[in-house]
Amino acid sequence: MANDDSAANQAGTPQTGFLGRHVFSTDHKVIGLNYLWLALFSVFLGLAMSLLMRIHLVWPGVRLPFLSGSTLERYAALTTFHGSLMVFLVLTAAPQAGFGNYFLPLQIGAREMAFPKLNRLSFWATAASLLGLTIAFLAAPETGITLWIASVAIFSVGSLCNGINFSVTTIDLRARGMTLPRLPLTVWAWFINAILSTLIFSVLLAASVCLLSDRLLSTHFFPPLNFLAVQPASFVANFLPMLWQRLFWFFAQAEVYIAMLPCFGLVTHLISTFSRKPVWMERLVVLALCGVGLFGFCVWGQHMFASGMNPFSPLVFSLLASSLGLPATILLISWLGTLWNARIQLNTSMLFAIGFVSLFMAGGISGIFLTGRDFAAAAVSDEFITGHFHLVMGVAATFAILGALFFWFPKLFGRRLNESLGKLHFWLTFAGVYLVFMPMHWLGLLTHANLDSGSRIAAISAMVAPVRTFITVAAILLVIAQGIFLFNFLWSLFRGEKVDERNPWRATTLEWSVSSPPPADDFGATDPVVYRGAYEFSVPGVAEDFVPQHLSPEEVAKAR
Amino acid sequence: MPGTTSPPEIELIIEDIGGGRGNPPPAGDDDGDDGGENDNRRRKQSPSPRRYSTAITIALVSILMFFMALASAFIVLRHGSDVWVSVHLPPILLANTLILLASSFTLEAARRRLSLADSSGFRKFWLLTTGLGILFVAGQLIAWRQLVAQGVYIASNQASSFFYIFTGAHAVHLLGGVGALLYVSFRKSDQKRISLSLAAEITSYYWHFMDGLWVFLLAVLYLGK
Repeated sequence: MANDDSAANQAGTPQTGFLGRHVFSTDHKVIGLNYLWLALFSVFLGLAMSLLMRIHLVWPGVRLPFLSGSTLERYAALTTFHGSLMVFLVLTAAPQAGFGNYFLPLQIGAREMAFPKLNRLSFWATAASLLGLTIAFLAAPETGITLWIASVAIFSVGSLCNGINFSVTTIDLRARGMTLPRLPLTVWAWFINAILSTLIFSVLLAASVCLLSDRLLSTHFFPPLNFLAVQPASFVANFLPMLWQRLFWFFAQAEVYIAMLPCFGLVTHLISTFSRKPVWMERLVVLALCGVGLFGFCVWGQHMFASGMNPFSPLVFSLLASSLGLPATILLISWLGTLWNARIQLNTSMLFAIGFVSLFMAGGISGIFLTGRDFAAAAVSDEFITGHFHLVMGVAATFAILGALFFWFPKLFGRRLNESLGKLHFWLTFAGVYLVFMPMHWLGLLTHANLDSGSRIAAISAMVAPVRTFITVAAILLVIAQGIFLFNFLWSLFRGEKVDERNPWRATTLEWSVSSPPPADDFGATDPVVYRGAYEFSVPGVAEDFVPQHLSPEEVAKAR
Repeated sequence: MPGTTSPPEIELIIEDIGGGRGNPPPAGDDDGDDGGENDNRRRKQSPSPRRYSTAITIALVSILMFFMALASAFIVLRHGSDVWVSVHLPPILLANTLILLASSFTLEAARRRLSLADSSGFRKFWLLTTGLGILFVAGQLIAWRQLVAQGVYIASNQASSFFYIFTGAHAVHLLGGVGALLYVSFRKSDQKRISLSLAAEITSYYWHFMDGLWVFLLAVLYLGK
C-alpha cells in the first residue's frame, strides 16, 4: 500500500478556512478530534470545580469564585456542573464519540461513518450541550435548572444519533474480509456500547422532556412540593418521588457501563499489543462485553435500594448486580492471562492500561459491598459511594482514555508524547488517586460503623476532620500533577518526536496500515481487505512477532 | 500454516446469521472489473445502501424505548394515584385511528404497484397515503381543540398531561414520516444514492411502526381511563 498517499486528496471536497475544516467538516477523523478537544477542555474545567468543592469542604471560610452569596445553592450548582461535565462531556464523549469516531471506521476498513452529516449534527448537539451546561451553571438557579435539563436533552439527542451511526457503521461498512470474529475488541466494545446508548438515552430524553414540560408548561409528571402538599399521604409516600428515580436510574446505572464498555475494549487492545500476545480467550471476552451491556441494561433498580421499593425487587436487582461480576471476572482473567509470561513493553500507554486493571480490581471489590441491599441503603449518600464510583468509573475510565491517547497520539498527530514526562505523570496520578479516594471509603465505613452509639460521635468527628483535610491536600497535588500532562500534550503537539513510520508500535489493526495522520479518505485508492484476526502476535514461523490484519497469506509467506 | 485462519468457512457462517457485510458487496453495483475472489486490490466503493434499512431498524427500537418510558411513567402514576382525574377521550380519535390504519394499507398498495412497475399507480397510492397521514395529524389537532373547548389543558391534571404528551410526541414522529413520504414522492430521479423501492421500503417500516405505536398509545390511554 505504498502508493496510497498520492491519491489521498482526491476524495471529498477540499474545504478551506478554520470553520470549514473543523466545525463544518463531516470527516469522521475531524469530528473525533473535536470530541477529544471538548473532553480535554471539560476535564480541566471539571477538575477545577472539584478543587473548589474540596477546599470549601475543609476550609469553609475561604472566599472562592462561584461560591459567594447563598452558598448552599451555589455548592449544589457546583456539584451538578462538575458531575455533568465529567460524566457527559468526558466519560461518555471521549472514549466512545472521540476515539470511536476517529478509529472505528479506520479499524474496520471503512472510509467514513455510515451517515457523516448525522455525525456532524451529533457533534454540534454535544458542543451545544456543553455551552448550555456552562451557561446554566452561571445563570440564576431557576433558569439555570431549566437550561440544564434542556442541555441534557440535547446531549441525549446527540448520543442517540451517535449510537445509530456507530452501530450501522459496524454492521454495514466493514471492509471485505472483516468478519465479526476478526473485529478488534475496541470495535466490539464501541458497537455494543452504541446499541446500549440507543436504548437508554431515549429513556433519559423522555424523562427530560417530561421534566421540561413540568417547568415550562406546568404539567405534573414530577410534581413539585406545593402540589404534593394537597395530595393524600399515601399517594405522596408511595409513588411520586420514585417516578423520577425510576426513569433517571434506568439511564444512569447503565450510563456507568456506557462509560466503562469502550474502556474495556481499549484496555484489552492495549494489553494485547504491548504484551505481544493474542488476547487470551478472545471469544469469551466478546461474550463478556455483551454480558456487561446486557446486565448493565438490567440493573437499574440497584440504585433504588434506599427509596423503599417493593421488597422483592431489591433481591432481583441485587442478584443481577452481583451477576455483573461474571463478565467482569472474565475480563480480568483475560487481562491477567494475556499479561502472564509475556514480554511486556512497559511504556506509558501500557502503564495506564495496567493502572486501569488495578483500579478496576479495587473498585470491583468495594462494588461487591454495594450489591448488598442493606449496605447500599445505608451508604447511599456518603463518602464510601463517592470514593467507590470515582475510583472505578471516573478514574479508571480516565486511565483508559489516557492510555489510548498515548497509544494513538502518533497516529493522530504524527508525533509521540514524551515518555519520561508521561511516566512521571502516570506515577504521580496513580499514587494521587489512591490517596484521594481510598480514605473516602474509610470515612464512609467509619461514620456508619458507629452511628448507633451516639456517645462516640464527637470522638469520630475529631478523627474525620484531619482525614478530610488530607484528602483535600492530596486532591490539590493530584490536580497540579495533571499540569505535567497538559504541558506534555501541548508541547508534543508541536515539538514532540516525529514518527515517520506508519506503525511505530508494531500493532496489527488497519489504522496502522495508513500514514500518520491518515489521509482524508483514509485508505487511498483501494479499499482495504482483511485476512486475519486482530490479535495475531508472536505467531510461530513468521518473520516478525506480529501479523497485520491486512497482510495476505502470500505476503506473509514472502516475508518469511 | 499457523496464524492464518481459513476465511471461507467463517465468512459463510457469519453470512448465514445475517451479518456478513464484511463480505464482498453483491454483484451489480460493480463496474465490471470484479475479479476473482483473490483480487485484493479493490477500487473504492460507496457504502452499501443497506445501511439505511439498518439505521431505521435501530432508530425504531430507540423510539420504542422513548415511548415505553412515557407509557411506564403513565402506568406507574395511574396505579399510584387515588385522585386520578381521567380525560374524556374525544370520539374523533377513533376516526383518526381508522384513517391511520387505512394509510398503512394504501402504502402497501403503492409498494405493490411499484413492484409491478406501475409507476403512475404507485404515485397515486403514495400521495393518497401522504394525504391520509396529513389528515390524521389534522384530526389530532381537532381532538386537541375539542379538549381545549372542554377546558382541558395540558396542565389541568396528570391524565391530560399524559394525553397531550402522548399525542404530541407521536404527532411529531408521524410528521417525520410524512416528510419521508413527501421526500419519496418529490425526490429527483437522478439521485442514485438510494433506489426508489428501497426508499419506499424504509419509509414503510417507519410508517407501519408509527401506526402500531399509535394503536398501542391509544390502548394505554383507554385502559388507563
